[in-house]
Amino acid sequence: MTIPIRLTVNGAAVAQNVEARRTLADLLREDLGLTGTHVGCEHGVCGACTVLVDGRTARSCLLFAAQLEGAHVTTIEGLTPAEALSPLQSAFSRCHALQCGFCTPGMIVTAHELLAERPAPSRQEIREAIAGNLCMCTGYVNIVRAIEQAAHTTGDGARGEVAR
Amino acid sequence: MSPWVGAAVPRKEDTRLTTGRGTYLDDIARPGLLHAAMLRSPHAHARVVAIDTAQAERLSGVFSVLTGAEAAATSQPIRPLIPTPAPLRDWCLAVDRVRFAGEPVAAVAAVDRATAEDALELIRVTYEPLPAVVDPEAAMRPGAPLLYPELGTNVLWHDVLSYGDVDGAFARAHGILRERFAIQRYASTPLETFGCIAEHDAGTGTYTVWTNDQRPGLTLAILAESLGVAQSQLRLICPDIGGAFGNKRRPAYLLICALLARQTRRPVKWIEDRIENLTALMHACNGVMDVELAYDGDGTVLALRVRDIADEGKNLVTPAQHNLIKLGNIANGYRIGAIRYEPGSVLTNKCPSGANRGIGKPFMCFAIERAMALLARRLGLDPAELRLRNYVRPAEMPYTTPTGSQYDSGDYPATLRRALERAGYPGWRAEQARARREGRLLGIGIATSVEPAGTNLASYELVTGHRSASGSAEAAMVRVEPDGRVRAALGDPASGQGYETVVAQIVADELGLTPDQVHVERGFDSLSTPWLYLSGNYSNKFSVTDVGAVVGAARAVRDKALRIAAHRLEVAAEDLELAAGEVRVRGVPGRSLTLRDVARTAYADVLGLPPGEPPGLEARHAYSNPLAAPVDAQRRVRSQLVFSNAAHCCLVEVDRRTGQVRILKYLVVHDCGRELNPAIVEGMVHGSTVHGIGAALLEEFRYDERGQLLTSTFMDYLKPTALDVPDIDVDHLESPSPFTPLGAKGVGEGGAIPGPAAVANAVEDALADYGVVIRSLPITPERVWRWLQEAK
Repeated sequence: MTIPIRLTVNGAAVAQNVEARRTLADLLREDLGLTGTHVGCEHGVCGACTVLVDGRTARSCLLFAAQLEGAHVTTIEGLTPAEALSPLQSAFSRCHALQCGFCTPGMIVTAHELLAERPAPSRQEIREAIAGNLCMCTGYVNIVRAIEQAAHTTGDGARGEVAR
Repeated sequence: MSPWVGAAVPRKEDTRLTTGRGTYLDDIARPGLLHAAMLRSPHAHARVVAIDTAQAERLSGVFSVLTGAEAAATSQPIRPLIPTPAPLRDWCLAVDRVRFAGEPVAAVAAVDRATAEDALELIRVTYEPLPAVVDPEAAMRPGAPLLYPELGTNVLWHDVLSYGDVDGAFARAHGILRERFAIQRYASTPLETFGCIAEHDAGTGTYTVWTNDQRPGLTLAILAESLGVAQSQLRLICPDIGGAFGNKRRPAYLLICALLARQTRRPVKWIEDRIENLTALMHACNGVMDVELAYDGDGTVLALRVRDIADEGKNLVTPAQHNLIKLGNIANGYRIGAIRYEPGSVLTNKCPSGANRGIGKPFMCFAIERAMALLARRLGLDPAELRLRNYVRPAEMPYTTPTGSQYDSGDYPATLRRALERAGYPGWRAEQARARREGRLLGIGIATSVEPAGTNLASYELVTGHRSASGSAEAAMVRVEPDGRVRAALGDPASGQGYETVVAQIVADELGLTPDQVHVERGFDSLSTPWLYLSGNYSNKFSVTDVGAVVGAARAVRDKALRIAAHRLEVAAEDLELAAGEVRVRGVPGRSLTLRDVARTAYADVLGLPPGEPPGLEARHAYSNPLAAPVDAQRRVRSQLVFSNAAHCCLVEVDRRTGQVRILKYLVVHDCGRELNPAIVEGMVHGSTVHGIGAALLEEFRYDERGQLLTSTFMDYLKPTALDVPDIDVDHLESPSPFTPLGAKGVGEGGAIPGPAAVANAVEDALADYGVVIRSLPITPERVWRWLQEAK
């Protein structure tokens, strides 16, 4: 069974017929070619597939695409400036907050939501915010540092960009 | 001379990886792509009586169904990754018999994954269940169910390796400490799961396989053999790899997809889902170890006896590896004069075991460092003091252990002392005493370790009686392109280690450039990457072999560039230097050629070359580390080649009401020789330490008595989250290895080796008043709570 849906992905209108059982991650990765969103566990634990749905983080592996009628979806591609890197992205690089990079897009989307809500979070708040995103490489130490640094960066592009 | 090696250069990989522009395996699409799914055995042990695929084949969207019998008819058996001690055969799919729950018995290729999984439900398999054996010691007993009846036993390898006067030392000893320790099954569970895409070109008869397999050199050989094609007919490509840690090596799946691709004439993709990953890819062996330390009155350890049973599961992938590799760190950092090691590698009806960050060495270190903690307590010595009395001294380097390992460099006492100073050890003890008075349970754990790097496959002669592969080697290429830009490639595909950056740093130093000016190829492509059978991302080998390959290739290019420039500038090559993208005459400002000028001569104006100099400006170099040597007459061997070392100290608090362990402070002082990129090194230390903490507190593949895995999702197989682990304080010493080209040593496995022991020692210290002895992991709240109740 296919279902016609209309939604906005990274600011662009999308109209698509989707099979009822396809997930949002399937739609983004396979139909729209937005492969920056990764799938790590398919049961909502690892957070690699995190995207913003109407401004809030969501697990794209746990949502059916058909549920997204009218939604505004933002992926890592939508949080990436046309030129250069966002403050969060450059802080991740500067602090060596990634190794294999597979968790990184989901981690940055989650951190983006945190900084949009709390421009100056404590270390503990950062750890709580990313506790739903698994990283097997870094031990989280440098990820926490990177988010802290990005928060201190003036004119943080993370704020105000959240699609509501 | 080396402005770039040693600098914390930001990674070249980061721009694509932070923006979602990396290319991981599942990001690759091919025209006409089909998707595969595997039907897996629900039984731990059963005979496969019949498989009926008719209904599945009729499902719309299904292109092919492959059974074990068909795989056996159309391919050769799949060879283990390392030499096997027993002549057993295995195909890519189970034939006649399944030996663990999760073993693939059939595969489907269909238009999409969901359709392929629908088809799995339509395959009818008739099983005749057999009794399963899940405990390794039970599997060793006569009458135990046999995984391979033709072998007549479940024991793949048993031996007694004796070095020095063990019996004499035990007879002379002041005392003997005897303990039995156990380790659970766990794994690094890379966030990107395993997979492949296989394509068959019927016109040329060639196969192309994209995979995140971390050891492409060997995998290509195995796959070609099983497919029955020449290695020249097979191309293997690795894109960005989302973590590997030893787990991503399973050529059987590549073979299944290649057979499906050949059958369907379409490319076939298979991406492991997380349940498949946890159930069937690769676990570190569980096992039990009986340790006996013979010691003198002052705590000097005289001799060591170890009986080590490794539960291999259904392992024809890397059999006996978890035992054999412990020879590398069995003495840890101590001067133990005599060692007896009795390994037993045992098959059971569980997931195959295999390489996992440190392979066996975390358990070896756990047992030794737990024993040292218990010995300190028995002798009334501070655990730090006991270790300091037993370390190999810096003046003894290079030091050869009784089993033949050569510790190349390092100052083990200074490493521990630095850790104690940095921690403020007396302050921790005071904090502990203060907390005790308040009724809180604080504990301090110390564990120190050696971290071997680079493997020497000759060591498997101890297992198999013959040598089928040996040494430790890697290949690299450096090329100045006709436009003067530089490109490099390495046979070792990174899985997070930042090789594009570190290789660029090394080449930049050799050629007088900046890392930005050196493009390093991502991953691996057997058509363009220089590679060897031994090529790959394993055994902590970058510093031991890869660096030598890169340095060798870069120096060959540099020497040639100097020869060409010398000819053109009419000076001696010795008077030239490479700097800032130019070849300059030393001491004569303005007398220079740009590297681009030199490249133009090399490729375009070839009549301008020195007489006899061939055109082009590129070099391939294969490097074999000279430390690798065959097994000697006393059965000693350098199974691994260079040794880093570390001291871990942690402070934990145990909640007596809930049994929860919280790590308050964690400190690492390590020494991996020269640090090529300190930021990357520190990141490795963080990550591998957290892997050790996960094994200590959370992670366990737990099976029931019928061989069913009870922890097959991330809901019950628990990984450390950001809330479970502390900030990790890292400091380092730098004792360059005399035996690697730039003095670097291994770093990827370091934290995973002593981490479990450090945490266990701390928890036991916290529970000292309760008389708890920690003999196994993970230290879950439930177990701690039980210990506390039992002690009441």
